[in-house]
Amino acid sequence: MILGDLLDAPVHDGAGRPLGFVVDVRLVLDGPVTGLLAAPRVHALLVSPRTGTSFLGYERTDVRSPALLARFLRWRHRGTFLVDWSDVAVATGDAVTLVDGYRRWSPAYPGRDRRRP
Amino acid sequence: MSPRLRRSARPFPDDEALPEAPRPAGLVLDARLHLLDRQTLDVDGRPVATVDDLELGAPGSTSLSGDDTVLVAALLSGPVLATRVFGGRPPSSRLHRIDWRHVTDVGTTVRLGVHGEELDVLWVERWVRDHVIGRIPGGRHDPG
Repeated sequence: MILGDLLDAPVHDGAGRPLGFVVDVRLVLDGPVTGLLAAPRVHALLVSPRTGTSFLGYERTDVRSPALLARFLRWRHRGTFLVDWSDVAVATGDAVTLVDGYRRWSPAYPGRDRRRP
Repeated sequence: MSPRLRRSARPFPDDEALPEAPRPAGLVLDARLHLLDRQTLDVDGRPVATVDDLELGAPGSTSLSGDDTVLVAALLSGPVLATRVFGGRPPSSRLHRIDWRHVTDVGTTVRLGVHGEELDVLWVERWVRDHVIGRIPGGRHDPG
């Protein structure tokens, strides 16, 4: 599977209720080390009610400028949440289904370095 | 218009304050935000390609499960402009792989630890250089 198959895929809970769309995939570099960097492991999915403009990332970083644009895009993607990969029952190119009892987290990029390029 | 969930169909309030997830041990990257469309540079700092997609899990797999550990195996580069505009995806044979083990740094650009000449992704440029540009008089040496 390629990342493009997952991006913008609709997300449902176990009962088939629509929750939003996959707007990004959070990776953690803690996999096996085969080169200079550890292999990225899929850690979580970012789910938003909308798909467009999320690639700018305003809803998950501390970037505040340009102020009008930042406020608009943060408002536009309100309701975005993070769900752990372990809470995914099955992910295909058509849809992502979450397990019953999945947990929603804040989409904020972790740590102080929220301005990472 | 891009797909969206109608407000009446949203199961949760938009202004709900959610707890921050526990911070994982390794460096965190959001794939679309920090990797897609980034320029890759080879070990000499020469541009190689842009990151158009990522290969997740085993090549050819069509579904993934949360019970499995899914790793990024490779960066993919290929003709994705038309599929991004009109939808769909290019055939797998048109996407060139750059193994993740070649990646040495991720920042504003993605740096590789190999020479671009060694990568399949540049075969078109090498072919054009050898078969077209090289046959033009003066095309095999520095114009200076």
